[in-house]
Amino acid sequence: MRAPAPGPETGNPGGRLRWLALAAALAGAFALVGGQLMRLALIGPAGPRLSINEPLTRTFARPDIVDRHGRLLATDLEAHSLFADPTLIQDADEAAEQLAEIFPELDAAELRRALADRSRRFVWIRRGLAPAVAQRVHDLGLVGLAFRKEPRRAYPQGALAGHVLGTVNVDNRGTAGIERWIDEAVGVESVLGSGAPRKPPVRLSLDLGVQHGLEAELGAAMERYQSSGAAGLIIDVASGEIVAAASLPAVDPSRPVQALEAHRFDRMTTGTYELGSIFKVVTIAMALDAGQAGLDTVYDVRAPLRAGGHTMRDLHPQGRPLTVREIFVHSSNIGAGLLAIEAGSAKQRAFITKLGMAGQMGTEAGPVSPPRLPARWGQAETITIAYGHGMALAPLQFAAAAAQLFNGGRAIVPTFRAGAAYPASGARLIAERTSADLSHLMRRNVTHPSGTGRQAEVAGFEVGGKTGTADIAAGGAYKDGGVISSFLAVFPAPAPRYLTLVSLFEPNATAETRGKVTAGVNAAPTTARLIARIAPLLDVATQ
Amino acid sequence: MRLMLSTAMLLVTLGSAFALYAINYDTRQLEQRVLMQERAAERALGDIAVLRAERAHLARPDRIEPLARSLGMGPAARGSGMRLIDLASPEGTATEVRK
Repeated sequence: MRAPAPGPETGNPGGRLRWLALAAALAGAFALVGGQLMRLALIGPAGPRLSINEPLTRTFARPDIVDRHGRLLATDLEAHSLFADPTLIQDADEAAEQLAEIFPELDAAELRRALADRSRRFVWIRRGLAPAVAQRVHDLGLVGLAFRKEPRRAYPQGALAGHVLGTVNVDNRGTAGIERWIDEAVGVESVLGSGAPRKPPVRLSLDLGVQHGLEAELGAAMERYQSSGAAGLIIDVASGEIVAAASLPAVDPSRPVQALEAHRFDRMTTGTYELGSIFKVVTIAMALDAGQAGLDTVYDVRAPLRAGGHTMRDLHPQGRPLTVREIFVHSSNIGAGLLAIEAGSAKQRAFITKLGMAGQMGTEAGPVSPPRLPARWGQAETITIAYGHGMALAPLQFAAAAAQLFNGGRAIVPTFRAGAAYPASGARLIAERTSADLSHLMRRNVTHPSGTGRQAEVAGFEVGGKTGTADIAAGGAYKDGGVISSFLAVFPAPAPRYLTLVSLFEPNATAETRGKVTAGVNAAPTTARLIARIAPLLDVATQ
Repeated sequence: MRLMLSTAMLLVTLGSAFALYAINYDTRQLEQRVLMQERAAERALGDIAVLRAERAHLARPDRIEPLARSLGMGPAARGSGMRLIDLASPEGTATEVRK
């Protein structure tokens, strides 16, 4: 007879324990299988992980840049960038040879070395390829080459506003101008592919049409007067918004290397110049606002001024005492000097500082070169500064300061952002009456038969302005025959909305200018053509 | 009894696992479709960006201006327009304009 099998029913405690252990083991295994099934079902297999050997190069998606009316100035477009994995390249020599045919600008020897280096898994060949070029590379069918899609900056308007917009580098990061400000103040998004930017467009104060008008007129003036360069700016005197700003020769933002060419530097912000008689606006504003003189106060300007071993004379001597009104219209250096002497150097310096011309300034497009002030501010300096010599500053800084004299006397902060409201704006700098008197003087200088700005008249747009012709300083001395001809204008008088500054660098005498190079015969008519063109775009109605 | 219970539990577990797998499979299909839609949207956005850039390039002022001037157009100047009130009405000269 067989003995009964040990089990729970047998009452054998050892057998019962083994049974329970077996059941527990089975249940455990069962739970493991079930758990794994659930994990796989819910989570799924592990996805691809980034290997240390994979390229980690990042690029950046940038917001679009549009003008004040929403017209596109800069955008990101998807472009193919070509890279190689040298470990997969079968014949580095042949690959380098074939690639060099498509990219003749690449160093073939360097490319061959890079492709033959099997210790590397990633080598950039060329970034930002045009679709046709990418297709040619693709058609080679070379193993080990691959493309990555990246955002690349495109500027549909070409070189328009190039100095203001600035540049980006190969990783699509801003390196100059508004592009750099976007990196610092707005922010860019780091992307691995060609992701579209999620940030809204950056709206600038520039007006595309006005900007084109400015650049076209400056370009025409450079040709007409054979000047080496030209710069111009249009600013809304009430808000400080810069509607257009240009420096020629221009810079194409899609070719950043152009910005390094010496003759293309931004004359509006990077160069500092003695701007000549347009500075008399500041001197007369100082005198009128302090109450030291009125428009009809008479000064004896017949005798030259002598100070610091220099003699200051008038370019257009009238041979009689002049009122302040006439000092402005005849651009009397002696008259401006007398007004400054009467005020004193301390008040002159304080007024220049109050207008923001003594310290460094900047805009969203970058810092502006700091003004060069005299180390010793004696009487000679007081006189020369009164008529725009002895201190040098960037045209943008001068224009921003001057705009405050024509908006009722309120402080503004120059800006390239549309709708920007800076807290420093709005403070009263000069009396409203002074501002009105200055607008009157500007208009009179254009309408008066002997006014230096009469060639700036544009029928219906009530232009007012002041000429300024100054020798160009270089290496501690003045360049022989080289001048900067500038015209500062406001329109429409008597309550100006816009201020323009046009500067021509080293203009030549032509038959049209009857052998002269002064601002009245070149910068003033250029301003007239400019205003005739842009005023309708700025909704300035004809009078 | 225990064996039946165990078998039932096993079947329930397996059934649940398969049900979960089916749901997960559907989810992955949906994810794949979403991914494809996202890629299509990305491509469309890229195309839109290219079209916008091309449109801006074609509408750039230095291209439009010569075309406009060839049609006899130019900036508005004094005399280009007139006040509505100055327009002659059929019954004579208007004296006011009502809105």
